[in-house]
Amino acid sequence: MTRRPRFSAWKLITHGLSRSPWPKVWEQHELASTYDVVIVGGGVHGLATAYYLARNHGITNVAVVEKSYIGSGGSGRNTAIVRSNYLTVEGSRFYDRSVKLYERLASDLNFNVMFEQRGHMTLAHSDSSLRTMRWRAEVNKLQGIDSAVISPAEIKELAPFLDTSDHPRYPILGALWHPPGGIVRHDAVVWGYARAAAALGVHIHQETELVGIDVKSDRVVGVQTSRGPISTSTVINCTAGWSSLIAAMAGVSLPITTRPLQAAVTEPVKLFLHPVIVSGSLHTYVSQTVRGELVFGATVDPFTSYATRGTLEFTTDLAGHMLELMPAIGNMRLLRQWAGLCDMTPDYGPIIGPTAVDGFYVDVGWGTYGFKAGPVAGESVAAMIADGKPGDLIGPFGLDRFERGTLTAEKGAAAVGH
Amino acid sequence: MSRYRLDPQPGEVIDRSKTVSFTWNGRRYEGFEGDTIASALAANGVRVLSRSFKYHRRRGLLTATYHDPNAMVQVGDEPNVRAAHQVLNEGMEVSAQNVWPSLSLDLKAVNQLVSPFLSPGFYYKTFMAPRALWPWYQRVLGRFAAGGVVNPEHHSAEYDHRYAHPDVLVAGGGPAGMAAAIAAAESGASVILVEEEPALGGHLRFGDDGDLQALANLRAAIEAQTAIEVMTDAVVAGRYDHNWVSVVQRDMAHVEERLVLARAKHLIVAAGTLERPYVFKGNDLPGVMLSTAARRLTNLYAVKPGDKAVVLTANQSGDAAVADLERAGVEIAAVLDARNGETVVEASGRKGVQTVVDSSGKRTDADLLVTAIGWTTSTALLNMAGDRPVYESRAARFLSSSLPLNVLATGGLVGDGTTDQLIEHGSAVGRAAARRAKTVKATWQGATSHAAPGEIPTLDVDDHPELFRSTTHGFVDYSEDVTSKDLLAAAEEGYDSIELAKRYTTAGMGPIQGKVEAVNALAVHGEAIGASLLETSTTTWRPPYAPIRLGTLAGRNREPLRHSPIQPWHERHNAKPLVAGQWIRPDHYGDPEAEVRAVRSGVGIIDVSPLGKIDLRGTDVPRLLEFVYVNKWSKLQVGKVRYGVMCAEDGVIMDDGVTGRLGHDRYMMSTTSGGAGGVWNWLDDWLQTSFPEWDVKMTAVTDGYASINVAGPNSRELVGRLTEIDLDADRFGYMEVRTGTVAGVTDCFLWRIGFTGELSYEIHVPAGYGLWLWENLIEFGDDLGVTAFGVEAQRIMRLEKGHFIVGQDTDGLTQGFGVGIDWAIKMDKPDFAGKPELAWQKERGGYPRLVAVQTDDPTVVPPEASQIIDASEKIKGRITSSRHSPTLERSICLAQVEEGLAQGGQRLNIRLPDGTTVAATVMADQAHFDPEGTRLRV
Ligand SMILES: Cc1cc2nc3c(=O)[nH]c(=O)nc-3n(C[C@H](O)[C@H](O)[C@H](O)COP(=O)(O)OP(=O)(O)OC[C@H]3O[C@@H](n4cnc5c(N)ncnc54)[C@H](O)[C@@H]3O)c2cc1C
Repeated sequence: MTRRPRFSAWKLITHGLSRSPWPKVWEQHELASTYDVVIVGGGVHGLATAYYLARNHGITNVAVVEKSYIGSGGSGRNTAIVRSNYLTVEGSRFYDRSVKLYERLASDLNFNVMFEQRGHMTLAHSDSSLRTMRWRAEVNKLQGIDSAVISPAEIKELAPFLDTSDHPRYPILGALWHPPGGIVRHDAVVWGYARAAAALGVHIHQETELVGIDVKSDRVVGVQTSRGPISTSTVINCTAGWSSLIAAMAGVSLPITTRPLQAAVTEPVKLFLHPVIVSGSLHTYVSQTVRGELVFGATVDPFTSYATRGTLEFTTDLAGHMLELMPAIGNMRLLRQWAGLCDMTPDYGPIIGPTAVDGFYVDVGWGTYGFKAGPVAGESVAAMIADGKPGDLIGPFGLDRFERGTLTAEKGAAAVGH
Repeated sequence: MSRYRLDPQPGEVIDRSKTVSFTWNGRRYEGFEGDTIASALAANGVRVLSRSFKYHRRRGLLTATYHDPNAMVQVGDEPNVRAAHQVLNEGMEVSAQNVWPSLSLDLKAVNQLVSPFLSPGFYYKTFMAPRALWPWYQRVLGRFAAGGVVNPEHHSAEYDHRYAHPDVLVAGGGPAGMAAAIAAAESGASVILVEEEPALGGHLRFGDDGDLQALANLRAAIEAQTAIEVMTDAVVAGRYDHNWVSVVQRDMAHVEERLVLARAKHLIVAAGTLERPYVFKGNDLPGVMLSTAARRLTNLYAVKPGDKAVVLTANQSGDAAVADLERAGVEIAAVLDARNGETVVEASGRKGVQTVVDSSGKRTDADLLVTAIGWTTSTALLNMAGDRPVYESRAARFLSSSLPLNVLATGGLVGDGTTDQLIEHGSAVGRAAARRAKTVKATWQGATSHAAPGEIPTLDVDDHPELFRSTTHGFVDYSEDVTSKDLLAAAEEGYDSIELAKRYTTAGMGPIQGKVEAVNALAVHGEAIGASLLETSTTTWRPPYAPIRLGTLAGRNREPLRHSPIQPWHERHNAKPLVAGQWIRPDHYGDPEAEVRAVRSGVGIIDVSPLGKIDLRGTDVPRLLEFVYVNKWSKLQVGKVRYGVMCAEDGVIMDDGVTGRLGHDRYMMSTTSGGAGGVWNWLDDWLQTSFPEWDVKMTAVTDGYASINVAGPNSRELVGRLTEIDLDADRFGYMEVRTGTVAGVTDCFLWRIGFTGELSYEIHVPAGYGLWLWENLIEFGDDLGVTAFGVEAQRIMRLEKGHFIVGQDTDGLTQGFGVGIDWAIKMDKPDFAGKPELAWQKERGGYPRLVAVQTDDPTVVPPEASQIIDASEKIKGRITSSRHSPTLERSICLAQVEEGLAQGGQRLNIRLPDGTTVAATVMADQAHFDPEGTRLRV
C-alpha cells in the first residue's frame, strides 16, 4: 500500500515553493489473476463502493474495471445536483444519508469535492404542482429533512432573476425550498474516491472492458476482460447506462431501458444565480457554477438509445423554457451541449442488491438522478458485500420488488430527473 | 486621424466617410463604419482588451476573429461580445469584463504573484478545513467567475426562427465554398451559402492583389446566380442526424438574430482552417498575434498593428505578413524562419511585448511579435457528421477522413492548393453534391450514390513543419489560463489520459471551446506521457460550433396559451384565471361557494371547452374502446354514453372520461383537459403498432367544439328553451347522447351526465358558436337565475360527490383497483391495456385505497397533501382533495390510505402542515353527498 501525503493549503504552498511534483493520484497496475471483488464501472458508484469496501470493511483486494477513463459515463456528464427532498419515505431517508455523507466527503477523502449547499428550489406553476410540492414537504418534514413550500415573494428574494410577475403561461405560484440541496464538482467526487480507494490498495484499471462473466452452477467464478481473465467470486455491476448489457453476461435480465439525457452549459458570466432552480412543468433545471456558467438539464429523451449525441430540439426547447423563467438572460450564449445514458427503471427507483446468480450484485437503475446517491450507495453496497445481506436503507430497492409488486413511488415526483 | 490608421488599403472594408463614435471604459473614441470594436480600438492605439481569467494578465488581440479568446467585452447589457467580430455601431458602450477596479489597474492580478500555488486543480487540494469556512471560500471563488454581467432588467429583443430546405448547404464562404456553391447552383441545385465573417471570401479578403481579383470574380459569379442564397455574418452551428443543420444569422435588419433550421439534402463543409498559436514564454502578451490577425488589421481595417515587429514564420501566411507589415510601414526587426529551425523562446515586456528572445539567444526589441506556425483544421462540423479526422504529420494538421453520403468536404479540410486548385476542387464537390441531392427522395433516407471515381480531384497537402511548443512554457488555453506546464503537471500527477488532463486543468472548457488550443493541448499532453497522441487520437467537437444566444435558440412564440372561444365573456365578467396545462380557464367569478349553491338550487353553466374530444369512426371503434378502457363497451347502443377509465400497461390509471355513440359507426370520446394529448398518442400508438388492420379513424376535435355544461335542477328547463331536441326524462335519460340543433346552431351534440352530481347537459357546439351559445344560455336563463360557475365550484361539487380527479387523487402508482371503481374493471374481458397488472394487483392486495374522510372538527379543512400518520408518526396515507362544502356546511376530503385503514368508521390522525394534528373518520361511502345519485336521475 502506498502512503500519500495529504492535500492542504500548506502543502500547496510548500509544493509551490519547491516546485516539486505532486505524487500520483492513482497508479496503473497489471491485472492480477484473482481479486476478492471485481467492480464493473469506474463511475461514482463503482469507485465509492471500492472505497467503502476498503475503508469500512478492510476488503482491499478489489479491482475496478473501467472500459474508458474513470468518470467517462454518467458520472462525468451529469449536472451534479444533490438533494434529499424526495417524495417517498424510503427515497428521502436514503438520499438524506447521501447528503450527510457529501457534507463531510471533502475531509473524508482529503479532496475538495466542492459541495456547495446553495439550496434547491422546485417551482410550482400550477395549483396541482403546488399540491405535489406540499406533499413532498410534508413527507420530508416527517423524516426530519429541511424542506418547505415558500411564496413568490420569498422566491424573488432568493433568486431575483426569476420572473415572479403575473405571467400568464407559467406563473410562479410557489416553490419547494430545500436548503441542504446544492451542487458538487462531479469530477472531483470521482477522482477523490479513486484516489482514496487507490491509497487503500484498490486497483483501478482504466481502458479495461468487461467482456464476459463466468458463471458455474449459478455462481460467479470469474470474469473476462479486454486485458485478460480474472478469477473472482464477487462481481458488482455499477455500469448505469450499460448495466443491462453487463447483467446479460451473467444471464440476469433487468427491467431497465437505456435512454439519453441531455445537458448544456452557457458561457460564463459573473454570478447572479445562487440556488438550484427546477421547473417540472417546463421540464428543466438550472444552476450556476462558481466559474460562472449556467448548467442546464432536462428530461430524458423520448427514445431508447446508446448514442450520446445531442439534438437541436433539446437546445431550442430548453432555451424557450429558460426564458420563460428568466427573461433577462436572452443574450447569454449556449456554449456546449452533450448527452449521457440513463438506466431507467419502471418506477424511477434504483435496483440494488443480489441477483439470482450467486456472487453477482447490482447497483443500477440510477436513471437521471444517481450521482447524488454515489456515497450512500457505495457505503450500503460495501456493507452488503461484507455482511452478506442488504441493509435497511437499500432493502426497499431490491430486484425482487418487481416480482413482489412493491414498487417505489418516485415516478410521481421524479418527472424532471436530476 | 490616429497615427495607427493607415492610408487606404486595396481590400479595406471601412467607409472613411462615416465616423462612428463609441465609448470604451467610459472614454469616447471614434472609428469608421465597417470597423469592428477591436479594429477601432487598435486604430486608437488601444492594445489591452481584457484581463485573463485566473491570473488577470493583460491580453490583446490574438486571432482577430470571432474566436479570439482575448477579445471578449461587455457591450451595454450584453456580456461576452466578440470585439474582433462585432461591427461598430454608433453610440456603443463598450467596457472590459471581469476587472477590478479597472482594466489598467486590476488588483486581482496579484494572482500572478501566487501563481506557483495556483497549480491546476489547486482548489481540490485546499479550502477543506475548517469546514465552517467553506461557505466563505465559496464566495471568494465565486468572485473570480469569468465573463461579463447580465442585467436583471434586460428585456429580450426579438428573435426569429426560419425553416429552410435547400438542396445543398455550404458551410464556409472562402474560395472553395464559393466555388462549390456556384457549381452546385449551375447544376440546378438550390443553395444556401453560409459565411461567418461579414463578407464572403475567407482568406482572400485580406490577401494580395491576385487574391482580391479572384475574390471579385467569385463574388460576381455568385451574384449572378439566383439559386444561391448568401448568408454572411452567419454561422453553421450544428449538424445533426439526416443533415438537420442549424444556422445562426447574426446580421439581421428587423430581429436581433435568427436561427435557420435547415434540412439540407446535401451538406458541403468548407470551413477551412484556423491559425494556431505557438506555445512559448510570454505568448499571451499584448502585441503577440497570429499572422492572419496582423494581416486582417492591416489589410481589412487599415490599422498598423505595431511599430517594430519580429515575425516567426513557417509558411506563406507568415511570409505574406512580412510583406504586408513592410507596406504598412512597420519596421521588421527580425524574421525568424521556422522552416530553417529558427524559433522564439520568449517574449517579455510589462504591458505588452517589448523584447523577443529567439532560439539563438538573441534579444530583439519589438512591440509586435507575429507568429505563423501552422493551422488547425476546422473539423467541428465534420465530427458532427460522424467523420473521425486523422492527423497528417506532413501537413501538421488533421484532415477529413470519412464522411456519410450526404456530406462532402472541400478546401483546407481536405488539403492545400493555389486559389485555382481550391476553386477547381470546390467546383467538383459542388457538382457532386448537386448530383447526389437529386437522388435524395426523403431527407431522412439520405443520398444514395457515391461520387463517381475521379469526379472529385484530390488536393495535395503542403509540407509544413510540426510546431506546437517552443523550449519554454507558455499558455495553451488563453481563456482558461492553462499553460503547457499545467498540462505536464497534470499528467505527472496521474491524470494520464487527455480526457482526464483536460478536465483537470479545464483546458478547452472556456468560451473558445478548444478551437484555438485543442491541438496544442494534445501535443503537450502527448509529450508528457511520451506518446504522440496526435497520431492516435482525434478531436471531437460537440455542437454548437459557435455559442448561440438563448434568445436565438428560443425564437418567438415559445409557449402557446389556449383560451376557449368563450374567453371574452369570462374576461368581461372578472373571471379569476386558472392555469390548467396550456389552458387558461375561469377559476371562479368572485364567490365559488355561491356558485355551488346556485347550481345545487337552480342552474349554472360552466365552460368545459378544454375537455379533450376525439372523434372516432369506423367499424372497429368498439374493439378499440374495449381495449383501452377497463370496462365493457361492445354493447354500447347508439345514443348512449358511458364513463370509462384508462390504465397504462402497468395498471396505473392514466385518464378517464365519457365516450358516447353518436351514430352507428361514429363515437365521440372525451378525455380530461390535461390528458387530451397523451390519450391521443396512446390510441394512435396502439392503432399503429398493434392493430394497424382495424378500421378506426381518429380526429382530434378538442378545438373544434366549445363545450358548456348546464347543471342543476333547472337545467332541463333552460336547455329546453334553446333546442327542439326532446329532453323528456324518459326519452333522453341519464348517460345518453343526442345530436341536433341548439340555439339555432346545427351539428351540436349533447350528453346527459353528472360530474357535479346534478341533472346536467353537456352541450358541444361548433367552436365558432361557443360564445353565442353561452350568451344565449345567460339570456334565456335570466329568469331562472342562471349562474356562470368556474373550475373551483366544479371541483367542490365533484368532491361532494366523491369523484376522483386523475393525477390529483391518483398518483404515479395508483392502479385501477385502488380508487373504488372495482365494479367497472371487467377482468373477464379477453384483454385490455393494463389487465395483467390489474390481475396481479388484485391477487397481491395490500395497496392503498381512495376513501372519503371527514374531520371531527367540521371547520378544519386539512390542506391537500396533509399526511395521515399513526401514533409513531409513520405515514399511513395522505389527503388528496379537501374543501369546505357549502352544501354540507363542513369540511370534506378524499384521501389515500393504507388498505388496513380503508374501512368506513376507521379513525385517522391527520398531520397538518402547521404541525398540528386533527382527528378524522373514514366514511362508508366515497360520496359525501347524495350517494344514491337520486339528483342525477330526475
Ligand atoms: C445529462 C445528465 C445529467 C444528470 N444529472 C444528475 C444530477 O443532477 N444529479 C444526480 O444525482 N444524477 C444526475 N444524473 C445521473 C447520474 O449521472 C448517474 O445516475 C450516475 O452518474 C451513475 O453513476 P454510475 O457510477 O452508476 O455510472 P457511470 O458514471 O455511468 O459509470 C459507469 C461506467 O461503466 C463503464 N462501463 C460500461 N460498460 C463497461 C464494460 N463492459 N466494462 C467496463 N466498464 C464499463 C462506463 O464506461 C462508465 O464509466 C445525470 C445524468 C446525465 C446523463
